[in-house]
Amino acid sequence: MGSGVTKTSEFNKRYDRAMKAAVMIQRWYRQYVARMEVRRRYTWNIFQSIEYSDLQDQIKLYNFLGYLVDNFTPSSSERNLISHIFRENEVCRDAEWERYFSYANIEVPDIYSGPRLSFPLDMAQVANLAEAFKNKQQLHSRYVLQLLLETWKLLRVLPNINRVSTCHSKEITICGDLHGQLEDLLLIFYKNGMPSLEKPYIFNGDYVDRGKDSIEILLILFAFLLVYPGDVYLNRGNHEDHIINLRYGFTKEVLKKYKMHGKRILKLLQKIFSWLPLVTVIDHRVLVVHGGISDSTDLSLIARVDRHKYVSAMRPPKKSSASRTNLYRPAVYDEMMISKNRRGSLMFPKPLGSRDSFQRRSLQNFSSTITRTVEEELEIRRRQSEFSLSSFSRSHQILNLSLSSESEPDSSEFTNTNNDEWKQILDLLWSDPMSQDGCIPNEIRGGGCYWGPDVTEDFLNRHNLQLIIRSHECKQDGYEFCHNRNVLTIFSASNYYEVGSNRGAFIRLGPDLVPYFVQYQATGMTRGLSFSQSMKRTEHTALKVLREQLFAHKSDLISAFQVFDKEKTGLISLDNWAAAIERVLRLDLPWLVLHAQLVSNTSDDLLDYHAWFRDLALKKPGCEHIEQTLLEALYRHRSTMETIFRIVDTDNSGFITFEDFRQTLKLLSAYLNIEISDEAVNELVINTDTNNDGSIDIDEFMEAFRLVDKSRLERGRSLLKFKQENQDLPQEEQTPQTAESAASQNVQSPDPKTSDSSDPQTADSLDSQTRDSPVLQRADSSYLQTGTSQDSKTAECSAPQTADSPGLQTDSPSSQTSDSSGSRT
Amino acid sequence: MAPKKKEEPKPAAAPKPPEPEPPKEPEFNPAEVQIEFTAEQIEDFKDAFQLFDRTPTNEMKITFAQCGDLIRALGQNPTNAEVLKVLGKPKAEDMQVKMLDFDQFLPMHQHICKAKDRGTFEDFVEGLRVFDKEGNGTVMGAELRHVLATLGEKMKEDEVEQLMAGQEDANGCINYEAFVKHVMAG
Repeated sequence: MGSGVTKTSEFNKRYDRAMKAAVMIQRWYRQYVARMEVRRRYTWNIFQSIEYSDLQDQIKLYNFLGYLVDNFTPSSSERNLISHIFRENEVCRDAEWERYFSYANIEVPDIYSGPRLSFPLDMAQVANLAEAFKNKQQLHSRYVLQLLLETWKLLRVLPNINRVSTCHSKEITICGDLHGQLEDLLLIFYKNGMPSLEKPYIFNGDYVDRGKDSIEILLILFAFLLVYPGDVYLNRGNHEDHIINLRYGFTKEVLKKYKMHGKRILKLLQKIFSWLPLVTVIDHRVLVVHGGISDSTDLSLIARVDRHKYVSAMRPPKKSSASRTNLYRPAVYDEMMISKNRRGSLMFPKPLGSRDSFQRRSLQNFSSTITRTVEEELEIRRRQSEFSLSSFSRSHQILNLSLSSESEPDSSEFTNTNNDEWKQILDLLWSDPMSQDGCIPNEIRGGGCYWGPDVTEDFLNRHNLQLIIRSHECKQDGYEFCHNRNVLTIFSASNYYEVGSNRGAFIRLGPDLVPYFVQYQATGMTRGLSFSQSMKRTEHTALKVLREQLFAHKSDLISAFQVFDKEKTGLISLDNWAAAIERVLRLDLPWLVLHAQLVSNTSDDLLDYHAWFRDLALKKPGCEHIEQTLLEALYRHRSTMETIFRIVDTDNSGFITFEDFRQTLKLLSAYLNIEISDEAVNELVINTDTNNDGSIDIDEFMEAFRLVDKSRLERGRSLLKFKQENQDLPQEEQTPQTAESAASQNVQSPDPKTSDSSDPQTADSLDSQTRDSPVLQRADSSYLQTGTSQDSKTAECSAPQTADSPGLQTDSPSSQTSDSSGSRT
Repeated sequence: MAPKKKEEPKPAAAPKPPEPEPPKEPEFNPAEVQIEFTAEQIEDFKDAFQLFDRTPTNEMKITFAQCGDLIRALGQNPTNAEVLKVLGKPKAEDMQVKMLDFDQFLPMHQHICKAKDRGTFEDFVEGLRVFDKEGNGTVMGAELRHVLATLGEKMKEDEVEQLMAGQEDANGCINYEAFVKHVMAG
């Protein structure tokens, strides 16, 4: 220390200033962190909210079709459409299936440079396969079919309940949802090692949909299953279901990657999915199941069912018409039934536990067209909740009606048992935990139920178990306990909503049955970004999605604003703005907190909403002559629309006939309660029926409904580029392409036709752009399934996140300590 | 390191205590606080409050520990000591356990909002200039880390890491004006 007077006081002064500075920085830092936290939370809320809202669409769709069946007599053609939709596939005997799926006559050309398989498989081949997929190669359809057939043969002899033991001090690794994210699977293998005799794995369902490498994940998992049948266990998830796949992208992916044999592959997968075991039990103590349980779940019953009869959650088992009762009435969700209020519900207590779960949304209000009273509706719902069949019973009924006009050759006896079994399976695959006691139907998902801690306890006691491990729900840290640590959710798809949105995790379980967690985050896209940067990116995407929603509801929003702004001054106060938006969108988001992000000119008092809409700066789809509200409605429901198209396209060709298209739009117009006039339909058709043969390419049609903003612009450019390549037009610079449009690059017919009008078009007019691509129509041409350089070229141009080699990424900065983050609980 | 060993009869101000603790102030009394927020602002706060509410049944309650975060999220930047004061100086073990609802929160927030010494860009830069040994507009990253972790209301190592991520140049120096802009911009 200083000895002189001056020195000490100088020192003091400096010290003081340093202290002040430190405190100041610390204060500001903490504020910064708090602000980031808020943003992180609402970003998460936005994604969850939109996801649940989307789930609702699927249910709405089926309810809607049921509503039609009940409430008006469709003309004969419409009726055919509906039964068309719900028609069961022809049930063939096994021998016929084998012949249908025969791969033997599929030739693999010499030029194919992808992996070649020889059966029986061994570990080296599987490792090689994984490596090939990592390098964006594609497995030839011959090997795919062969692999799938072998898998099917194996699965058929597996029981409904896998039984695993941790003897020999083996640690079992348990993985949750993967959803087509190959990067995550490879990361898991990198961190944990591949499956082997010493390293058993359980995969808990949802391998496919949403991500872009679903088929690759399946192939790897099945390959491991074949090599180590005693050490690899696969549970079925709710996405292992061909109807769900229609909506959530797996069907599309397979058809794009395997243009010639995709349909067969899908059909075979349909069977394979139905043969996947339902649950796994470890040491008679730990249950591993994809969704969860209900108060009626009974493992001994589960063990006995014929699981392969339950092909899809949307297609209940056939039932003799005699037992059709009043109980299966249309589940019309009146707005009144479901509380608009965040804080509770008329009929059901708010079942959703943690902040990450969401309240129900109200569904399309059919009340104006239904003459049922509220009391009747309540009664029906109550009765339905007893059976917890909710909306899946709809398709049941429809099926009955559609089948009643056809003769059934195969009428084995179907009883109430079938329905019980079906319900049991639905519960296993679709349920979610809630924090309140009890067990109620899962309205948001439309299947399974919400089950409470008391049900868990009862179930564990009855079956002498100590822990339930499940997946099915995205968790920010990759895993989460609930129900007093009796239920553990494990989710293995990191960055599920968007880059940076969440971590993935897997569990290691040793003989002590204490779960040890390893978290990770695939960082192909965010390598080098700090936490705040990647968080901002996630937020950006969430807000973009939200803006699209706002845009899609423009007309409704303006009407809602004008309720407050009766003189139509165009101005509205902020809290009225927030209230109006919530009323229309019903996403239950903190609009006031978000408003700074959504409204650019944040002046003090009033918001000019017309200017605000202009500011949203999104260009609407290119059919200007079609009425705004119709366009908005179609845009909003585009995913439902697309799903219907794909359902109608039963042979999965990618095309539907003009007539079916018209019928579908008519159905939609009834469903949406809006006018879609014949002229409007014709307009829509003319814009998209490009080869004038009376059939419509579904993808092309949907292209017209992409809003144009920056990222879409890329897609448009890539389409343009593709056409230029085929027409020898002047080249533009290379732009990164998404996997979808890149896949369309694959289609090189042997002799490319020149298109009709070869004006180079700007990406803005996407609709006209899609008109001139005759090559796309030749989807079923003699395109050879090869894993050639073409495919790898495609892969390189695919979405930037796979530009780096996946799977070997370092963890994101925030999880540097991921290995040690494993907590012995 | 005890700076205050000897008092000298100096004309300058008496040595201040090293910790930024407000000297002998009366305890915080929420009843005495006049709420001056507008209804709109209050709605806004409610929205944010909701975001922090982690109760399973959405009771509109947050823990004591979250109170500071919420106040900061709403644009204030109190010190930890100031937050503890409005919370009524709770014990450490209470922070994660005790809850408050929105009505209890509002006067706390109002009090903090009224506090004068909020700090501007200039203040912040001035504060950092203290560490600018060479007077060239940069500070040593290592020194700053050390200070933040050891002085004042100490930050944890990973917090410091997060704050400083990407800020240092190749020599380990930070241009502090840019740094301040970065932190204040959020």
